Amino acid sequence: MATQFIDVDVRPTLRAGGEPFGAIMAAVANLQPGQGLRLLATFEPVPLFHVLGSKGFSHEAKEIGGGDWEVLFSPAAAAAPVDTAPAKPASDTDTWPSPVQEMDNRDLDPPEPMVRILAATEAMANGDVLSALLCREPMFLLPELAKRGHAWRGGFEPDGKTYKILIRIGAAKDAA
Amino acid sequence: MVGVALSRWTMSYFATAVLALIAAEGLMLAGVGYPHAAIAAPESLLLVHLVAIGWLSLLMCGALFQFVPVLVNRPLYSNTLPLPTLILLVTGLAALLLGFAQLGGTIQTPFGFFPAAAILLGAGFVLVLWNLGRTLWAARPLPLPARFVVVGLCSLAATVFLGIIFALVLGGVATKPHLLDVTALGLPIHVIAGLGGWLTFTAFGVSYRLLAMFMLAPELEGRTTHGAFYIGTAALTVAIIGGMAAICTSANVIWPIAAAAGLGLLALALYGGDIQHLYRARKRRVIELNSRMAGVALANLAATVVLGIGLLLAGRFNDYVGVIVFLVAFAWLSGFGLAKLYKIVAFLTWLECYGPVLGKTATPRVQDLVAEPRAQKWFALYFVAVWIAAIALLVTMPSLFRLGTGAMLLATVGIGVQLMRTRRLANVAPALRLPKGTRPPHLLHSSVQPS
Repeated sequence: MATQFIDVDVRPTLRAGGEPFGAIMAAVANLQPGQGLRLLATFEPVPLFHVLGSKGFSHEAKEIGGGDWEVLFSPAAAAAPVDTAPAKPASDTDTWPSPVQEMDNRDLDPPEPMVRILAATEAMANGDVLSALLCREPMFLLPELAKRGHAWRGGFEPDGKTYKILIRIGAAKDAA
Repeated sequence: MVGVALSRWTMSYFATAVLALIAAEGLMLAGVGYPHAAIAAPESLLLVHLVAIGWLSLLMCGALFQFVPVLVNRPLYSNTLPLPTLILLVTGLAALLLGFAQLGGTIQTPFGFFPAAAILLGAGFVLVLWNLGRTLWAARPLPLPARFVVVGLCSLAATVFLGIIFALVLGGVATKPHLLDVTALGLPIHVIAGLGGWLTFTAFGVSYRLLAMFMLAPELEGRTTHGAFYIGTAALTVAIIGGMAAICTSANVIWPIAAAAGLGLLALALYGGDIQHLYRARKRRVIELNSRMAGVALANLAATVVLGIGLLLAGRFNDYVGVIVFLVAFAWLSGFGLAKLYKIVAFLTWLECYGPVLGKTATPRVQDLVAEPRAQKWFALYFVAVWIAAIALLVTMPSLFRLGTGAMLLATVGIGVQLMRTRRLANVAPALRLPKGTRPPHLLHSSVQPS
């Protein structure tokens, strides 16, 4: 079954410094059953993957040159079975999905980064990944993540000053 | 990478330490020890050890059990050992104080307390060194702040080693001529290793990390910080090893100490430059009370160094060595310790109480656990009182000294009450205090939840 895609090009809006989220959601609301959305953006719109994923859309993103991205959002029934192993326990060899939320906590007073990260993880679904930038290793956060059953991967970026942590919700619980 | 759990017994160390400080200030107010007695009189030594072991060392040990793991990103080797360690240290200190009281003729018993003090304190500090040493050893290669702590711990070992020799000689157990020489001449080395190596050098290492963390300043690992570390380590090595060698070879102990002083000044200057840079390069413009008061303590350290150099140049250092020791102990180390304690108690209490429910329900901020304007008055009184007492020592006015120490006592009690209120969550608005799923923290130990 071929999916008919409706084009939404938000590149002019983004280049003008605008916020295209409203227009995208309006276009999604106007889709007929079986129709998909072809989105053109100036970056990989990771947060949108999660938002539309929760509405039953799968996505296929590819870079189309000049830093621009084309993303095909297909309604679930029409989606190709690309990723069929979501329940696999997280181990270091697994590839984690792209983060659905990214935060930059580098300029926050301790323990505000920890507070924000834990608040965000509570609002996320199992299997989702959160990415956060910090200015040091979050020593007191890690036991709390473990207690809540989340898995994490972290390390310093090449600049040696920014610590990036990826947290996968509930992944440690699945592994256990 | 597993992160760091709460240190179970750190709050007991802090509580005991603050009580020891209050007791010492009470004794000074009562006119016990220097300047009412000679600086080397038994009652002065009683006072000095109550401050150095009871207050400063217990404070430092409690803090290190929590923060060495943070510095090296490893769990503490044992979270159980700190309690028996504390019991050994407190009973050992009690025996030591009784030993000094015995030495001064205040109490008379048929048996001596010094050997017991040597065994108990020796065992207690060996457990401290074992626990922290194992934690640090597992974390090699060490980051720079942790290496300061390693040198501090080595100095602690030297201090305790000398202290045990002194106690055994004074207790009449050891009679070997060499050990008598060490007891007669080794006091400056014991003091330098204790106040300079163990307490000050460790505080330097911890301050690099804590100040950067609380003021959002860049972590320093550059040439000046390495310089402060290597030159400071060299100064302590020359003072301790060189000093001991001088005593054992009947050379004059003043030479290694003079050489160490020169190196030490250089290390202090590098450290001072680093710390100024941390305060200037901070991203956080409005800093909390703990960082402001730590700044006052650091300025006190600088002023003490300047005063020391002035006295040395004037050839009066030996007459006023008591003032320098007083300033190092109270204006610098105690001021810095109280300032950091104010933050650490709030942070650890917050983490213990609200960590498990963060993000699940509304929780207070760390700053909701403290009442800074109230505490600031007590800190201001504390520092002014210390300056008054130090001036009284300089101009030899014992009655003014007692006034100063009385004000110090009042201020310390005030700060202690604030710390207790923080631990009891008394400053938190009642509606926010204990959300569902939380329970009030115990005053003296932290519940370490299984992860």
